[in-house]
Formats: sequence, C-alpha cells, structure tokens
Amino acid sequence: MFTTQVPWLTTLILLPLVAAFAVPLIPDKDGKTLRWYGLGVGLVELALTVYLAATQFDRTAVGFQLSETYAWLPQLGVNWSVAVDGISLPLLVLTAFVNTLALMAAWRVSHKPRLFYGLMLALYGAQMGVFVAKDLLLFFTMWELELVPVYLLISIWGGPKRLYAATKFILYTALASLFILVAGLGLAFSGDRITFDLAELGLKEYPAALELFAYVGFLIAFAVKLPMFPVHTWLPDAHGEASAPVSMVLAGILLKMGGYGLIRMNMELLPNAHIHFAPVLVVLGVVNIVYGAFAAFGQTNLKRRLAYSSVSHMGFVLIGLASFTEVGLNGAMLQMLSHGLIAAALFFLAGAAYDRTHTLMMDEMSGLAQQMPKIFALFTVAAMASLALPGMSGFVSELTVFLGMANSDAYSLSFKTVIVFLSAVGLILTPIYLLSMLREVFYGEAKAETTPDHWFSDANPREVFIAVCFLLPIIGIGLYPKLAMTSYDTKTVHIAQKVGAALPIFATVEPQEMTAERDLFPLTPALIAPPLD
Amino acid sequence: MDLSNDLAAQLNAGAILPEGLVIVTLMAVLVIDLIVGRKASSWLPYVAIAGLFATVAALVLQWDNPNPLAFFDSFNSDDLSVIFRGIIALSTVITILMSIRYIEQSGTSLAEFMAIMLTATLGAMFLSGANDLVMIFVSLETLSISSYLMTGYTKRDPRSNEAALKYLLIGAASSAIFLYGVSLLYGLSGGETNLAQIAAQLAQGDSDQALGLAIALVFSIAGIAFKISAVPFHQWTPDVYEGSPTPVVAFLSVGSKAAGFALALRMLLTAFESVTVEWHFIFTALAILSMILGNVVALAQTSMKRMLAYSSIAQAGFVMLGMIAGTEAGYASMVFYLLIYLFMNLGAFTCVILFSLRTGTDQISDYAGLYQKDALLTLALSICLLSLGGIPPMAGFFGKIYLFWAGWQAGLYGLVLLGLVTSVISIYYYIRVVKMMVVKEPQEMSDAVQNYPPIRWNLTGMRPLQVGIVFSLITTSLAGILSNPLLTLANNSITQTDLFHVANAAAVETVAQVAEDADPVAQ
Repeated sequence: MFTTQVPWLTTLILLPLVAAFAVPLIPDKDGKTLRWYGLGVGLVELALTVYLAATQFDRTAVGFQLSETYAWLPQLGVNWSVAVDGISLPLLVLTAFVNTLALMAAWRVSHKPRLFYGLMLALYGAQMGVFVAKDLLLFFTMWELELVPVYLLISIWGGPKRLYAATKFILYTALASLFILVAGLGLAFSGDRITFDLAELGLKEYPAALELFAYVGFLIAFAVKLPMFPVHTWLPDAHGEASAPVSMVLAGILLKMGGYGLIRMNMELLPNAHIHFAPVLVVLGVVNIVYGAFAAFGQTNLKRRLAYSSVSHMGFVLIGLASFTEVGLNGAMLQMLSHGLIAAALFFLAGAAYDRTHTLMMDEMSGLAQQMPKIFALFTVAAMASLALPGMSGFVSELTVFLGMANSDAYSLSFKTVIVFLSAVGLILTPIYLLSMLREVFYGEAKAETTPDHWFSDANPREVFIAVCFLLPIIGIGLYPKLAMTSYDTKTVHIAQKVGAALPIFATVEPQEMTAERDLFPLTPALIAPPLD
Repeated sequence: MDLSNDLAAQLNAGAILPEGLVIVTLMAVLVIDLIVGRKASSWLPYVAIAGLFATVAALVLQWDNPNPLAFFDSFNSDDLSVIFRGIIALSTVITILMSIRYIEQSGTSLAEFMAIMLTATLGAMFLSGANDLVMIFVSLETLSISSYLMTGYTKRDPRSNEAALKYLLIGAASSAIFLYGVSLLYGLSGGETNLAQIAAQLAQGDSDQALGLAIALVFSIAGIAFKISAVPFHQWTPDVYEGSPTPVVAFLSVGSKAAGFALALRMLLTAFESVTVEWHFIFTALAILSMILGNVVALAQTSMKRMLAYSSIAQAGFVMLGMIAGTEAGYASMVFYLLIYLFMNLGAFTCVILFSLRTGTDQISDYAGLYQKDALLTLALSICLLSLGGIPPMAGFFGKIYLFWAGWQAGLYGLVLLGLVTSVISIYYYIRVVKMMVVKEPQEMSDAVQNYPPIRWNLTGMRPLQVGIVFSLITTSLAGILSNPLLTLANNSITQTDLFHVANAAAVETVAQVAEDADPVAQ
C-alpha cells in the first residue's frame, strides 16, 4: 500500500488541520503572532498546491492521479484514499487561493482570534479534503467536518442575526448531507463487493431503481450546497450575516463543493440516471438564474444582494452540467472557478466597505466613491466581472454554457430556445441589479450626517493587494480562457462522452415513455437521438 | 483426589479471576476504611483504581480463553463477556476519578460510596458473563440494589431521595416482571436454568407453548429494557438522572447500560433463539421509539443532566440498531459503539461535574459564556457533546457510521434512515450547549459564569478530575481517526465468540433480506 512517492495530497489535508490543533499552543501576547501564523500556513499550503498543479499533475491524463491509498478502516471497506483529476485540481487551487486570501482578509479580527484562526484552518483542511477524497466515506467525513467550523464562524463573528443564520445553515446542510451517506451506502453495498472507492464505484453496474434513488440522494445534498432553488433559502442568511472572510470562503468555495459533487457523483457514477434528471436540472437552473436575479434586485442589504447574485450565477453551472456537451460542461467548470473568484472579491470588498461605514443597508450608504476611490474602482471592476463584461472570466464561462446548451443534441429545439431565452433575461437582469447597487452605494452625494465627522479612509495596501489578487486571474481567464481550461479539458471531454454514451441506449429502451411526457408537457425535452439498430 | 480434580475442572474458577480482584479491592476498601478511618480517604480511591486496573489486566489475560465456561456452565468468560466486563471496569475507574471531589464536597463518606460502586461493578461484570437464569437474576439484583443505594447516596438532598425512591419502586417492579418471565422460561424448558439447555429444550418443544414463550419473551425484554432505558421503559431515567449524584448517573448511563446490553445479547441469542423474528420485531419497536422520543424530548430540556438522560435514551436506540441487524458486523458495531460511548459520555459527565462543582448548577443556560472563563472545560465538553452528536472527526461519528453501515448491510433501510434523521435532530441540542458556551458575548454571560471561581487544580480530588477530562478529551478526539485497533478488538470479540456463530446462522435464515444481500465480508 505504501508508496515511496511523497504523500502530497495527504499533506495538503493534514497541514491545515494539524496547524488548527496547534493554535492553542501558539504564544500570542499582542494578537499579532496568530495572524502571521495563519497566513504562513495558508501560504505554505497554497505554494504546495500550486507546485503540485504545475509540476506533478499531468494534464493529458483522464483518470485519477497522485493517488495515495492507506488502509484506514478495513473492517468497513474504508480507505484513506486521495487523488486528483482534471475536475478536482482547478478547484483545489481555487480553494487554496481563496482561503489564503481570506486569512489575509481576516487581519483585523480581534475578537477571540485564537478560536477564529483555529476554525479557519480546520475549515481550510476540510475543504481540501472534500476535493481530493477518492473514497466516498472519506468524502462524507470531510464534507461533515466543515459543518461545525462554519457554524461557529458565522455564529460568533457574524452580523446581528447571526445565530438564526448559523442554525439555519447547520440544519439545512446537516440534514441534506445525510443523503450522501444514504446514497453512498446504497451504491457501496450494491453488487458483490463492498467498496467506497470512487473509481471502483464508477465501474459498477447498478440496477436502474437504485441508480435513480442514489441520484436523488446526492442531488438533495448537493443542491442544498450549490444552492439550487427551492433549497437555497439558507444562503442569503448565512452569506449575509457572516463576516467578510467567512463569506469569501462560503461563496468562493463551499458553493463549488455542491457543483463538484454533482459532477463527481451524479454524472460520473450515475450517468444513466443523469439522463432522467438532466431536464429537471436545466429547468431549475433557469429558475435559479431568473429568480436569483429578481430576488437580488429586491434586496436592500448589500451582502444579501450579492448572496442572491450567487444563487443566480450558480444556475449556469446547473445548465452546463445538464447540457450533455463537453462545451457545456467546460462552461460549468469555468463558471465555478470564475464565480469563486468574483464572489470572493465582491464579498471581500463589501466587507471592506462595511468596516468603514458599519452598515450594509444600501439606502444608508451614498456617495462613497468620493471618499474611497480605490474601493470604488475595485468594486466596479469586480461587479463588471460579475455581470459578464467581455474580457472578464464571467463572460467567457456564461457564453460557453450558452454555447453548450445551444449545441446540445439531447434537447428539442423549442426547449433549448425557451431555456436560452429565459437565461438571457436573467443575464439582462444582472447588470440592472449590480449597476443599481453601484449607483446606490458609490455614486451621488455623500450622506450629510456621514460627511463632516466621519471621513472614511480609503483601502489600505493590504486590501488593495487582496482585491487585485482576485481581479488579475479574473481578467486573465477572461482574455485567455485556456489558462484555466487546459487543466480540466481532457477530463470534461471524458465525462461528457461517458454521459453522452448513455444517451442513445436510454432512448431505445424507453422511447414510449418519453413521447408520452412530450405530449403532456410541451416544454419537456424530447430526446432526439436516433434509436440504435 | 480424582473427584476434586474433576470438580476443580468443572468449577474453572480462574474464569472469574477479574471478579475476584474486584471483590478483593472491595474488601480492601472496606477494611482500610474501618481501620484507618477518614485519614485514608486521600489515597483510598487510588487503591480502588489500582484494583480495577488489575481487573482490566486480568481481563486482558482472559482474552481468547480456550475454556471459557465456569461453575457448571453458569458463567461464560468468552470474549464477548471479557469486552463488556472491560467496558464496565473502565467506566468504574473513570467514575471513581470524577467522584472523589464530588463526594468530598457533598460531605459524605467516600469509602462507603466506593464500596457500593464496586459492588455494582461486580454485579454488572457477573451479569455480562452470566449464562444461567439463577446467575443472571442474582447478578442483576446485585447491580440493581447497589444502584438504588447509590442514587440515594447524598441523603440530605431531597432530590436524591426522590430519585432513589422512584428508581427503587420502578426497578423492583421491573425485576419482578423479569423474574416472572424467567420463571415461565424455566417451566417451559422443563426445569432448565442454563441458557443453552433452555434453547435446546425450547427448540424441540411443541407449538402449544407459543403463548407462554411469547409472555416469557416480552417480560424478559421488559426487564432488560428497563436496564438499558429503552422507550417505553425509560420513565425513571430523567428523574433519576436529575436527582442522583452525578457520578452515579455517569455509571448508570455507561456501566449499567453496557451490562444490560450484554445480558440482552446473551439471553436473546441463546435462550430465545427460536423466536428470533419476534424479538427482532420487539427491539425494532423499542429502537424506533427510543430514537424518536429520546432525541425529540431532549430538544426541550433546560437541565443539562436531564438532557443527557434523554440523550442516553436515544443513544441506546442507536445501539439497538446493531442488535437488530443480527449480523456479526451488527454485533461488532454495537460493541464498538459502546466502547466509544464509554469515553464520550463519561467525558461529558466529568465536565458537567466539574462545572457544577465550581458553580453549583446544572442548568444549560448557566453555561453561557464559559469559554471566556474556562477554555479547557469548554473544549472538552464541546468535543464530547459533538462526538455524541456524531460530528466528524470525533469518535462518535465513526461509531455511528459503523452502526449504520452494519444496519444497511443487513437491509434495515428504514431504521438506518430514521437513525440518520434523528441524529441530525440530536446535533441541534448538543450544539445548543456548545453555542451557549462559545458564542455568547461577555455581556451575555450567566451569573454562574460571571462568579466563576479561579481555576485551581490543587484542591483535593481536582487532579483526578483533570486527568479524567484530559483523558476523555484525547480519546474522544482521536479514537475515531485511529479507530482501527478498537474496531479490530470489537470485531474479534464477536468472531471469537461461539454464541454468534449459532446466532448468525439463525438470523440469516429468518431474516430474508439478510440472506438476499448476504455478502462475502459478513460471512
């Protein structure tokens, strides 16, 4: 079992976790050692991840790489088994990037700093674990491991309604993540061999009923995390109440765990069931986009508006996943990466503005541009990226999703037209709510009561640095998308083929059922793939 | 000469060496207290602890005993009983660690308390290996009567008196019911008291015994369910837990419960083997009720001890899941969970004792803001409670995973699903306490915490308490990740016990789904 190769991925998981447990032992008299400690661990982790991605990772390979397997609980068939492939590696780099910057953004935390840094580091390790786990129970463990740190991070350092938001978060997520375990047990015990290894589970053949059941289980868990309408309601509360560094991690990484899970479990393990549910995903994706945009428009709280914009943007991921094309899947991946950067940047800047104005209500802020021109400029660039301005990553990813959907041969033309049209409506709404946000917060006359006594200071170099760190890759990917795409292209093509391969088989097996559905609901997609002879 | 050799072989007295050591310790504690008096109270607990460690060492030597039956088959020292006796002895060790300061502060005699505690341990240990109806009843009563005495030990406290009276009345009634069931069993089997003989007699019995057997089964289960406080035989639990001295509660919730489970396994798997389907059915009902009622009612509790009482009811429900699974993995998951439960539950009780020693209260709301005053206590209590709630990477998570794993393997999909949902409910009430301690701002601190005394570990009996807390903190946080040795231990205790080979075959035959999903690992 033991290889002479360096256990890179295990190190990536354990380094932040061990560092988190060591936090109580760090001498910290003036409250400054800890933040350097946290940042140092984050930077080492980031450096390791980038080193792995740059030198150890083979972009042309399809399967799992850098695998490490150690017997952990052989009685249960559970191994400590970690590996990366094309879809986990970019997200791994994103995780290290966002978390390290979040640790830097948390420079000013003075309330219970010891607990804060301990929890942030534990959360860091758990996220890394989710993306590298190759064993379903290890995945579940890491998935659950992140619950309590997030709960405490929201409920101690959050806004006025933090307790409500934190409780809502933990109940939603804990209840939903049970279904990962249930579905996982169902898959593991199917067939003649108990295994939780994802690669082996992918090779098993499942009975149709079990596959549908497991798909629904995974979907519930990941839909809550993503979040998908109608189980998104925890998100505006959690993101709105959490402090800026925590919001950055929540919006930047935790949502992506849902999308990653959908690709890893639902599409890779259960391609046959994916065909049944893909239309549902598309429809809910559109609902996400349009509903999220309208709801964002109705918010007066800055962070809640950004939170709903996350709901809206994650809808594109759903559409991309369900498009049955590699272009669409590529778009979904890129949208996750791009949204991870953009949302983290926006939440960070919203936090920076909040630090100065001490309010998140947009009607109480006005004319901030005069007083903080740097924050205004950075905020504007991030908002432009979010509304998919050409040249920014958001534009490329959303365009790719549209292309994928439009080129998909799995859906009928009328269905595709309606979907693309409605998503385009959502795209028009995005600038409306983002620009009106900019107008309310930054333009206009400064509020009389705030001007004379409280002259807000502009962003300090640290804050500018963090924001620029986010904006550079956003523009870089926007101008040259291959920068990100090369890492996962091979893998997404493979998955799209695997899912696509299930398509004609399905069409021949149950053509009757599908026509009946088409008659009932004109909008339901008809599978027009030719029957196999 | 021949006769005496034969007798010695049949007695096989070495099998009860661990119990012998407990008796010696018990006598030593009593005699030393009698001779030296109160001066000995500073070191007497360590005598008891040393004795119990010797007991555990003797148990280790008993592992894989080739000749486990002793005293004319009335006591069985197989690996299953060894592991249960180990759990009980260890739970007593930790209970004594936490009781030194508590009893000191309550102004009662520590030596007498320990003597009763050791007697209860003795009863529980004998119960784990009892293989004969008379033996079962005698050891059950030894355990019960010393438990009644312990619950009423702080005799100046009216709540303790009330608890003792309630426990005594309900306990005596349940003993009587159990005895009645056992007597039916005795009659039905044609005058046998040995469990294996009873099973053999019942297997060839005619069908008109069915009603009698059903009553015997229900009555026996009622007696067992009282010990493991399964719903609907749980009514005594909250009141007794609330009123009794906290160390006693800790022992009742772990040691006494483990003995109950050992009794349940041995009795149901051998004597009631012919009615496996029926007892599975009854235990399914008990497990469902325990999981739902325990977890839901715990939500509404304001007293820490009452909350832990309902939580222990719910935990018993989870453990029953492994029993109902009826596979080797199921029994092993039970043993594994009890091992882990020992550390996390006793850890939680140690923390509760420490808190009430320093502030004199058990109300959950009084824990508000404790993090600012006592970080170690907050950390330990949080870890133990989160572990009870099944949050990774704590030990309880792995225990629950194994239980659900085994349940799913045996085809108990509904029960596993219910267990999962109720364990999410349980997270809510466990995390409520954590929230109370960690999240509250300094200005929201409770009066009890505001007047929190300076932390002094050098008072009499505080050092053992600290040892107990640190020990359970470390084991609870690490026993899950490094659970392989414990898992192996639990699995071996099952695979090396003859009891289960017979039982497993029967279970596979009767439970259709098990046969359907039978897989190479479980066989």
